[in-house]
Amino acid sequence: MTKEKTVSITIDNKKLHVKPGLTILQAAKANNIYIPSLCAFEHLPSYGACRLCIVEVDGIRGFPTSCTTPVEDGMVIRTETQELRNLRQEVLKLLLSEHPASCLFCSDKEECINFQGTIRKVGNTTGCRYCPNDHRCEIQTIVEKIGLTETSYPVYYRNFPVEKYDPFYDRDYNLCILCGRCIRVCNDIRLNGTLSFKQRGQKTTIGPAFDRTHLEAGCEFCGACVNVCPTGALSVKTGKWYGKQDKEGETTCNFCSIGCKLILQTKNESIVDSLPDYDSPLDKGLICVKGRFSITEYVHSPWRYSTPMEMTPVGYNNITWEKALDIAAEKIKGVKPDEVLMLISTQLLNEDIYCTQKFMRKIIGSEHIIPTPLIYLNNDFATYWNLCTESQPLEVIENTQFIFTVGFDSTYGYSPIGIRIKKAAKAGAYLVTLNDKETNLDLLASASFQVEKKAWYDVIEILIARDGKEKKHTEAQKILKEGAIDLNRLKKSLSKTKDKLIVLGQDILNHPERTRLLDRFEKTITKGGWKIIVANPYTNLKGTLMLGGFPYIMPGDILKTQTGEKVKTIKTQIVNFDLNKKRKLIYIIGDAPDLMIPDCDFLIYQNALPASFKKMPDLILPSNLFPETDGTIINMEDRILMVKKVIEPYMESKPDWWIISAIGERLKKGKFQFKDMQSIHGEIKKLIKGFPKIKDRLEFSRINAAGSKKTARFTPVPEAKRAIYRGIALSEVVSGMKVIERSLNE
Amino acid sequence: MSDTIDLIFEKYERAQDQLIPILQEVQRQYGYVSPEAVKKISRYLKITENQIYGVSSFYAQFRFSAPGRHSIRVCLGTACHVRGGATLLEMLERELDIKCGDTTSDKRFDLDRVACLGCCALSPVVQIDKDIYSRMTVTKLAELLKSYE
Amino acid sequence: MNKLKNKITLAKNKWKDLEDNKIPIIFVGAASCGRAAGALELMPEIEKFIGEHNINAEILQVGCIGPCYLEPLVDIKMPGQPRISYSNVNAKVLSNILKSHLLDGIPYTRAAIGNFSKNTFMDIPPLFEHPMLKPQVRIVLRNCGIINPEDIDHYLATDGYQGFMNALTKTPEEVIGIVRQAGLRGRGGAGFPTYKKWTVCRNAPGDEKYLICNADEGDPGAFMNRSLIESDPHAVLEGMLIAGYAIGANKGIVYIRAEYPLAIERLKKAISQMREYGLLGKNILKSNFSFDIKIKEGAGAFVCGEETALIASIEGKRGMPRSRPPFPAISGLFGCPTIINNVETLGTLPNILRNGADWYNRFGKEGNRGTKTFSLVGKIRRSGLIEVQLGTTLREIIFDIGGGVQKNFKAIQTGGPSGGCLSEEFLDLPVDYESLAAAGSIMGSGGLIVMDEDTCVVDVAKYFLDFTQKESCGKCIPCRVGTKHMVEILDRITKGEGNTEDLLTLRNLGDTIKKGALCGLGQTAPNPVLTTLRYFRNEYLEHIKEGRCRAVVCKSLIEYRVIKEKCTGCQSCVRVCPTGAISGPRSEPHNLDPTKCIKCRSCYEICRFDAIAGDAIVIRTAEKRS
Repeated sequence: MTKEKTVSITIDNKKLHVKPGLTILQAAKANNIYIPSLCAFEHLPSYGACRLCIVEVDGIRGFPTSCTTPVEDGMVIRTETQELRNLRQEVLKLLLSEHPASCLFCSDKEECINFQGTIRKVGNTTGCRYCPNDHRCEIQTIVEKIGLTETSYPVYYRNFPVEKYDPFYDRDYNLCILCGRCIRVCNDIRLNGTLSFKQRGQKTTIGPAFDRTHLEAGCEFCGACVNVCPTGALSVKTGKWYGKQDKEGETTCNFCSIGCKLILQTKNESIVDSLPDYDSPLDKGLICVKGRFSITEYVHSPWRYSTPMEMTPVGYNNITWEKALDIAAEKIKGVKPDEVLMLISTQLLNEDIYCTQKFMRKIIGSEHIIPTPLIYLNNDFATYWNLCTESQPLEVIENTQFIFTVGFDSTYGYSPIGIRIKKAAKAGAYLVTLNDKETNLDLLASASFQVEKKAWYDVIEILIARDGKEKKHTEAQKILKEGAIDLNRLKKSLSKTKDKLIVLGQDILNHPERTRLLDRFEKTITKGGWKIIVANPYTNLKGTLMLGGFPYIMPGDILKTQTGEKVKTIKTQIVNFDLNKKRKLIYIIGDAPDLMIPDCDFLIYQNALPASFKKMPDLILPSNLFPETDGTIINMEDRILMVKKVIEPYMESKPDWWIISAIGERLKKGKFQFKDMQSIHGEIKKLIKGFPKIKDRLEFSRINAAGSKKTARFTPVPEAKRAIYRGIALSEVVSGMKVIERSLNE
Repeated sequence: MSDTIDLIFEKYERAQDQLIPILQEVQRQYGYVSPEAVKKISRYLKITENQIYGVSSFYAQFRFSAPGRHSIRVCLGTACHVRGGATLLEMLERELDIKCGDTTSDKRFDLDRVACLGCCALSPVVQIDKDIYSRMTVTKLAELLKSYE
Repeated sequence: MNKLKNKITLAKNKWKDLEDNKIPIIFVGAASCGRAAGALELMPEIEKFIGEHNINAEILQVGCIGPCYLEPLVDIKMPGQPRISYSNVNAKVLSNILKSHLLDGIPYTRAAIGNFSKNTFMDIPPLFEHPMLKPQVRIVLRNCGIINPEDIDHYLATDGYQGFMNALTKTPEEVIGIVRQAGLRGRGGAGFPTYKKWTVCRNAPGDEKYLICNADEGDPGAFMNRSLIESDPHAVLEGMLIAGYAIGANKGIVYIRAEYPLAIERLKKAISQMREYGLLGKNILKSNFSFDIKIKEGAGAFVCGEETALIASIEGKRGMPRSRPPFPAISGLFGCPTIINNVETLGTLPNILRNGADWYNRFGKEGNRGTKTFSLVGKIRRSGLIEVQLGTTLREIIFDIGGGVQKNFKAIQTGGPSGGCLSEEFLDLPVDYESLAAAGSIMGSGGLIVMDEDTCVVDVAKYFLDFTQKESCGKCIPCRVGTKHMVEILDRITKGEGNTEDLLTLRNLGDTIKKGALCGLGQTAPNPVLTTLRYFRNEYLEHIKEGRCRAVVCKSLIEYRVIKEKCTGCQSCVRVCPTGAISGPRSEPHNLDPTKCIKCRSCYEICRFDAIAGDAIVIRTAEKRS
């Protein structure tokens, strides 16, 4: 083992060996020495503004800030002297004269804490409580640590109106101490540049250009600014009056196929906040508005099903699970394999899918288990899947010299991809964007094509066809001219670089020439030269196919490592199920958004929220949502990610696997039964070695959908336009998402 | 506007350190930095409009609304202060019925303070457009204003 | 090199032609200050005169020789006569001068202040014997007001670029050694030894290094840098060449206030002349040294005089200082090693390299070598730009050079808003870095503001604090919030609403800001208050306890009165009063209603200067509050 290089320093008479390159503050922190600080934040560049982390260093004049001063060998540092204490107290007093401090020095402070459960919100608007951040406030901690008990300066209440007009979070800059954390995170970490200091000196404020709203100014509502704010200046609308959380737990976001890590904070079994983990290697804490702000409202939606329900002539009746399961079993019993249709969302967990397919195959004996994307994409499903199997890990982006985004925008989703692209572009990668509207990457692009969809194919040809061939694409020639894009430069930088990457956004799914485009990409990728990342909205598409949630694909079959097959030929034409044929029973898990549900005798709808389709289900079975249950998904990087239960399920809702298993048990008299996660995993393990604890990326075979080309019919994909979870658009449930959607459609 | 602003860009590289020179030239040509100009500069320099506004609002030189036909700058340097520069500013605010930093409703004058014009030995001084008037008094200044349409 | 030598020979001939002129030459002092005083309006008058009288004469615009109180200055040099300098030239005086001197060849002695020779000429004493100029030692300002700043030949003729050429014959280390021996300290304010900074930068790794000339002269009341650049831009640019050579930089930037358009224009001209003469570009004078200079205009932020803020500003960011380390000499502009030198430091370098370190050591005193320029302004009789040896006393500056104070001397502020306000007892203080610091002030870049008994020190302290508060970048808390508290307390005191505890609070705040602020602007911001508190405590107490402003400045504590005995009833004041506070029929003493009076000074001025008025309006301390 090689010894790591260290420098030796002395802090408060303690000799320490620390890593070189650290700041004094970091070195102290690593050795459990507390130095108060406000503007410093672990993942942000240091700033040195609050002046609380000052220390004394031998040989340095005055009081350097420990957050900006790097350690040097032999440095002698003192963090606690009388002079430092006094100076910190004085600086803190000054800070508090800009920050309403009634919560810190009120004589009735103790009393107040005892009663805060009842008076908080009222107090804020009518009384002395200015701030939603009580007990989560870093200033409170610091005041305590520094031992300040009073302040002698008057408070300058700046009288800014509280900004409540943007979705998701409110801003009360009267509480702001101008530490600049929000600005640094917005500019340096998120590379978004919505927030900026404005004016200077006493007049300094924070916000977008002119007096624009955040929505107008290009804010992604990633909420990173709210995470890092040490005060109550920035607060999440849904969680601001809950006070300090009592629990927190980690899980994986299920809103798209990236699978960002989330830290969910809860109070009284309610989710009050959802935070990123900056140390997560996959997403680096760069979560998007969906994971950051949509969970609370979705999970705690007033429209959640609380109990199973049965349709009666006078409307829906709440019934017990016993009864509901009996009805389901009763209706399923005896149906012939081709009289049943099981529609599943691709946003279910692996375990749910495994149980469901087993139920279909073992109990009903049917292959009619259809993941909903298959219906929308029909023939294109195979091509899309094949591109997805080629999708690279996200870290590839930063090492790529040429990036071509097609129909991709990461303002309100896919930010771990988008921010990596921005980073690459800032570091000098050649970025070309193609969309029919302005995207959030255009600003940094070397060339951006904002062209009608019908011209996309030609533009793509210019980029991926061999030299000289682009001439015949007259449409593209016109575009180049109009957009003042220098084709020679573009071509030159194309020919220079070996690492070329296509980032395929979800907009491609709605392209009228989808088939032609996807085929073109598939050809390009298989030929080599270009890599691809598919930003796909189907959270667990990979898991759905791997666990057999697809006709004629058995669990484990699609794994390349297992079968060694590069291409898997599906025996039957994949779209040969006649979706218009009347069925005896249709069972839907998740939703089938905007879909015409074929005629049927009985419709079972298993989900957490009311369906988007018009047909009224005969039986409604309430499901859990991902923060309420354990399980796994396989993300776009082909990794198995853990989904963990953070809160107790809502009312009587149940995990999907539990519901299926319970119905199965009724039909098979105890022979189809899963007690818990372990028992499901045990079974999957027999088919897929090591499941679910597989660290490496999985490898999947491509699909050859033999002979299904002729029936292709274009169906627009709802996921292309809106963020959808289990069939329900987030904008239908989450008010802020509705506001964003409206602004996009304007 | 878009044509002339593109001409400005031709003179400057596409780098952030060109931002302030570009803003200065925009202000020289148009009298102020408009939201449209900020948008154009944003596209050219690949910096967001918010970042540009953040930088430009830091500096006293840039204004974001159209100036008056004549710009009055009252020097409030030390020498001018000691000799009554503030009184001149007060008088102008009263006479023109605007606050420092604003433009009169008839767009005749805009009024601002300036830290020091470096003509301290001739204080107090007032600058109207490009002309600097030295050893000003309240009464002389009132007379002077009449000569500006 | 040969090409330049030829140019120098030509330039010297050109200069000699000027000295042995065959036709009259008229020099007009047309730096910004001269222009403000009306110098440019004289130009057409002169042209008209020589046109009408068919005189073959040359008109030259020159810079500023220093005595601004005498502006506008016009010099005339007749063939065979020394150059004669005329002061306070207006149209009327001008025509007398031209008639007498140009037409008749007889200097117009009434307006003449001196001649440029060493002897008295026709009763006109030598200019440099003038009491304001005589005690001065002009090294940096040696060419100011004498040569045409827009003509590189004039600079070359007066040994310009000789220092740089000397430098090229030495290694950069040797050049740094000479500067070290000369004992040159940074003239921007802090007085850090120039060679030390240079050595750090010279030794810092990196191929790309920058030299920045800090011409962001933001101190209100200071104009040394403006004047030097306007009057002798090549001196500064030559200094940049020398510094760039010494530290190994190939790129030079002049960061200059946009408020100095004339200086910018002259710099641009000078730079293009340098290029034309092969003094900029690749392999200058066939050496291995390549250098180019660009101009960056500031955009109105005092704090950008601070090194790290200046760098941020050049990079196109908000001009907010950052903590050091890393020091700019190691990681500055675009992360490259960067030296930022003040205009005057750079302007001094050519002289040191031309004449040697020993020569420079003759000036000033141990540890404070050389000279320093100051802008001497305020309530001083002879205001203007001066240059004295370090170690000269304040008394010599104020009374010998400045000719004393208009009324009774009260205080002098050195170092602008970052400096301190010193009382009479410090008049014999030698002006050097350490002495000023010991007195609680700083050298600063060189603003000297003289105050007399009509200046209220509390008001001045408030003015400075208000200035720094407005110019604070707002980044660190002590500066942003602390200065605001100080201004509010001072405001209270000037309104007569303060209490004695306020004085203690002011001191505590001052102490906190000095120790706690991030950058030089903040750390020095409390100086004006701390020094006035120390040396003029009584005046604060008068404001607080007696509600009295002895200088009759603080508005809330003064009132306007009409002295009935003097009032002629001319109604001039009634006409100018904006609020109708003064009333009374013609020819009868007027009444002034103090409740309506807004103390705008209009009546006071009109009553003093109007011919028929009787100087009947007085401003005096208000009746004591009940």
